[in-house]
Amino acid sequence: MTDLQFDKHAPSALRLHGLHKSFGRPAVDGLDLEVRRGELYALLGPNGAGKTTTLRMVTGLLAPDAGQVEVFGIDMARDPAAAKRRLAYLPDDPMLYGKLKPTEYLEFVAGLWGMRAEDAEPRAHRLLDWLDLTPHAHELSEGFSRGMKQKLALAGALIHEPELLILDEPLTGLDAAAARQVKDLLLSHVEGGGTVILTTHILEVAERLAQRIGIIRQGRLIAEGTLAELRERTQGGSLEDVFLQLTESR
Amino acid sequence: MKALPPFRNAAPGSALWLLGHELRHAWYGAAVNRAGKRRPATTTLVIGLLGWVALHAFAYALLSKLGDAARADRLLAVAAGAPLLISSTFMLSQALRSSVIVLFERGDLDLLLSSPLPSRSVFATRLLGVAVSTGTLYMFLFSPFANVGLVFGRPGWLAIYPVVGALATLAACIGMLLTLLLVRLLGARRTRVVAQVVAALAGAALFLLTQAYNFVSRGSDPNATAHLTKRLIAGGMLAPDSLLWLPGRAALGDILPLLAVVLLAVAAFALTLKRTHRFFVHGLQEAASTSRARARPGGPPRLRVRHSLFDTVVIKEWRLIARDPHLVSQVLLQLIYLAPMLFLILSKGDAPLAPIGASLPLLCASLTASLAWIMISAEDAPDLLLSAPAPLRLIRLAKLAAAAMPPLLLVALPLAWLVVRAPVAGLMVCFAVSGAVLEAGLIVLWLGRPAPRSNFKVRGKENFVCTVFEMVNILSWGAAGWLLVAMTLPDSDMSALGAAAALAAASVTLLLAWLFRRRPG
Repeated sequence: MTDLQFDKHAPSALRLHGLHKSFGRPAVDGLDLEVRRGELYALLGPNGAGKTTTLRMVTGLLAPDAGQVEVFGIDMARDPAAAKRRLAYLPDDPMLYGKLKPTEYLEFVAGLWGMRAEDAEPRAHRLLDWLDLTPHAHELSEGFSRGMKQKLALAGALIHEPELLILDEPLTGLDAAAARQVKDLLLSHVEGGGTVILTTHILEVAERLAQRIGIIRQGRLIAEGTLAELRERTQGGSLEDVFLQLTESR
Repeated sequence: MKALPPFRNAAPGSALWLLGHELRHAWYGAAVNRAGKRRPATTTLVIGLLGWVALHAFAYALLSKLGDAARADRLLAVAAGAPLLISSTFMLSQALRSSVIVLFERGDLDLLLSSPLPSRSVFATRLLGVAVSTGTLYMFLFSPFANVGLVFGRPGWLAIYPVVGALATLAACIGMLLTLLLVRLLGARRTRVVAQVVAALAGAALFLLTQAYNFVSRGSDPNATAHLTKRLIAGGMLAPDSLLWLPGRAALGDILPLLAVVLLAVAAFALTLKRTHRFFVHGLQEAASTSRARARPGGPPRLRVRHSLFDTVVIKEWRLIARDPHLVSQVLLQLIYLAPMLFLILSKGDAPLAPIGASLPLLCASLTASLAWIMISAEDAPDLLLSAPAPLRLIRLAKLAAAAMPPLLLVALPLAWLVVRAPVAGLMVCFAVSGAVLEAGLIVLWLGRPAPRSNFKVRGKENFVCTVFEMVNILSWGAAGWLLVAMTLPDSDMSALGAAAALAAASVTLLLAWLFRRRPG
């Protein structure tokens, strides 16, 4: 687990209350969750547990059947624009346009978030440099490898300096170097006061990066806490042991 | 799909077994099987069968009328040859598309070439698969004439079967050779685009040629069509004995032409196999693996963040369209069929105004609907737009504007010409064009369903309701354009009433589209 410190009593960056979503059968079933400011929170669960559905409701892509999503105290249902302005979402499948070059993509995303040119341009250059995309800035992204696409999408997510960064399986398909870059970037975002929520199937990532871990199963939060707290609760060894014990025991 | 009897018992790894594999994949990708089902749906089978029976009835009626007219036999080779030649251009188009699919898109080539099967068999069956998938539709269309010919005592017409097969094989060979040549010259990535554009143009080649002939001959020869017929009868290059009608004579059972056509197809198949097999096995794989486009270094990257969200969205949409030549060619091909209108304007100073009044709204509505579908329904990253704080209404408005502006720019010149020549009629057409464009965009916005861009050609089948609304809109505004212009001309008794009816139809269509609009789920 990371050594980053966070204030346990900090106000929440995200609060979910009684969240429900059903697609014929319940995908998210009365989920209550709170993520504090400046925290890196890992949301874990087996396939079909409701992780992605939860994140899509948090980002305003799906309307909950019931319950409430609050981003920095702003109700997503009441003022979605204000809530969305403070967050960024990076799904498993990067939201890119194959026929745009990286610079054009960042221009577009900056436009969507209403950034001023003088803020967006230096920030975009910094991100492209940071993620080693500058040499490819004149190429269409359709020819990029999976890792490069993911890094470009991450640059798009970070360009408006979101306070809350939400990532769904951000390390899927990345090589070791790219994965390291993304992990460093997430830690640096949290060190800078930002909040990160991520889902991952790579438990080692959650174990190393996350300050708190939530485990959901069948749309409900079944356990939450620091790695030490979860271990204590299950008398497990690694996070893998804890995870399997919790998700298979019910 | 369960393998057909000849393939079911084929020994695994044999050429027949491989051909079964090819045909199974061809069926999965067939236009009549958009759902990618294993078996044809009963409805598809029944409709296909009914269509085949109807074609037999049509062939019977046609041959009954033909009777034993002496002149008919002389021209029969032309009558049989012309549809076969026309079909050949479509076959070539289909063969090019199939070649691109089997070489690059199916994704099983590595598996087959890494297996112990002889690579020559893999290529041969792949080529044969392209020929079969290319020829099936035309076998369906022409076989009733062969069967009905038997009833009329013309057993020689059974040669239609081998002739269609031979033409499909020739088309497959040309398609494959052209695709592989493009790979060698341009690399794999560009080949996909160029081959698809060439395929689209090949499909429309005949129409383009006839229009060009009309256009070129109109100025110098007012009786061009009559002269063409004369040359056909008198023994010019289009005479019944010409080599051009060799497939026609072969299809009627003339033994030497039949042998020539079949031998040509067999030779083309063998030659294609011999000349391209090595490149197919090695060169193609290399081309595919080194196909990533490398842009020329263009100095330090520059960003131009625009002040308005509207401009940002419009520029993004235009960039995406401009960089997709395959899509652009598909959109523009729709307009080819409106080319006669442009020829009319360009070739005659005293062109009739009413047809132009109908053509411009037709063209604009059709083009706007296509572009709006690409920009709104086929948005590549809808989640990005939904997760952004930008107002969705403004984004949609910008997309509508991005779709409407190119058609309006395209007709700006003819409209200006019209306004100068007949101001009132010109203003009426401006009104019709504006209405057609706005309504076409709104219909797609309200009724369009999300789909990938690759579905552009089949979007009509996937969203039938939207297509019907689009068609009614196009026709209503076309009629309104015609009748509004006619109102300004002398002797326009019923034009006002007709124009009012057309405008009412357009308004009702818009109202219904709004009532049936999709609500965000």
